[in-house]
Amino acid sequence: MAALRDGDFAALQILLKAPSKDAVRQLCQECFSSPPAALGPLAQRACPGLAVSAEEAEQLVSALHNLTRHVVYRGLTRAEDILCLFPENFHQNLKNLLTKIILENISAWRNEAQASQISLPRLVDMDWRVDIKTSSDSIVRMAVPTCLLQLKIQEDAALCGNNPVVSALTVELSKETLDTMLEGLGRIRDQLSAVANK
Amino acid sequence: MGLLNFTRDPVPEAVSGDMHNLNQLSAQQFSALTEVLFRFLTEPKEVERFLTQLSDFATMNKISLGPLKNIVKSILLVPNGALKRNLSSEQVRADFIALGLSEEKASYFAEQWKVNSPTLTRLAVGQTLMINQLIDMEWKFGVTAGSSELEKVGSIFLQLKLVVKKGSQLENVYVELTLPQFYSFLHEMERVKTSLESFS
Repeated sequence: MAALRDGDFAALQILLKAPSKDAVRQLCQECFSSPPAALGPLAQRACPGLAVSAEEAEQLVSALHNLTRHVVYRGLTRAEDILCLFPENFHQNLKNLLTKIILENISAWRNEAQASQISLPRLVDMDWRVDIKTSSDSIVRMAVPTCLLQLKIQEDAALCGNNPVVSALTVELSKETLDTMLEGLGRIRDQLSAVANK
Repeated sequence: MGLLNFTRDPVPEAVSGDMHNLNQLSAQQFSALTEVLFRFLTEPKEVERFLTQLSDFATMNKISLGPLKNIVKSILLVPNGALKRNLSSEQVRADFIALGLSEEKASYFAEQWKVNSPTLTRLAVGQTLMINQLIDMEWKFGVTAGSSELEKVGSIFLQLKLVVKKGSQLENVYVELTLPQFYSFLHEMERVKTSLESFS
């Protein structure tokens, strides 16, 4: 997470050279979503549209990234709080435009931040099937139901970038195991309700 | 020898000799031996204990251990085959008689078989191949207070650790679920339970 730096607001004024409000909007979104490592290439792409030097583009992109991420980090939701961040002498119209764009995107950005949080591998899907075992090498005739459960697990999104690795784990459960598992899950549900009701 | 229920393969020659020797035991001795055998069958992991008890039996009844072990091997052929084929106690009795055991002893053994067969069947089913068997599940849930991207979060997470038996090794699988996923998972597992129960 990047903190706001002094030079950032100066760099933001480069946006005054942007061709349109939509271009500013687009750039804000790209700067928020981009990880710090990808800001360089993003700056290069933004260069021609803004008619500025490569160095200025980089400073701008970095400043926008810091500003948007800072707002999301602090959880600011009111226009006044965002307006306060800007220094006194900042261009009024640009300040209002940026605040407006940020407010439009803030909840989507918050969700994006939460979705890309670090975590243990996440469950993305689950499927099951029930089989009846009718015969085996230890017993020639039987009718034992069993459950096959397939869990699709995705590795930490941050580590995989754009190609998340999803592995499938198929597990077999006997009826006894399933009953024990359901007991455990029931206890979780009860505790969750207790927490929710506090 | 007529067709046997417990096996389709020809029985080793030594078996009839062993049965003859068995017939020489008194009813009490046979009953004690049968008890040792069934204790082993219901707890197949207790090999040491089984061998000790056999050796004690041999000493107490003045029988040599070597021939006793052969006799026991012959006897065990029947319950092992009977288990595989879900034989009834009448069938077990008939097989022992066909092999040369006295009617009295065959009936006694068949009775013991009837008493023990639910336990033995459950054991055999338990030995049936399971792929990636789920052994254990541990869980914890909590609240995410904050992160490097969001100062205040307050969302609930649930973490599961599944212990899975892959071949002979245990593997731990860690998964995180959101709250809606948890409720969905619980709902699906309840559906599985209903399905399994309808087939039991």
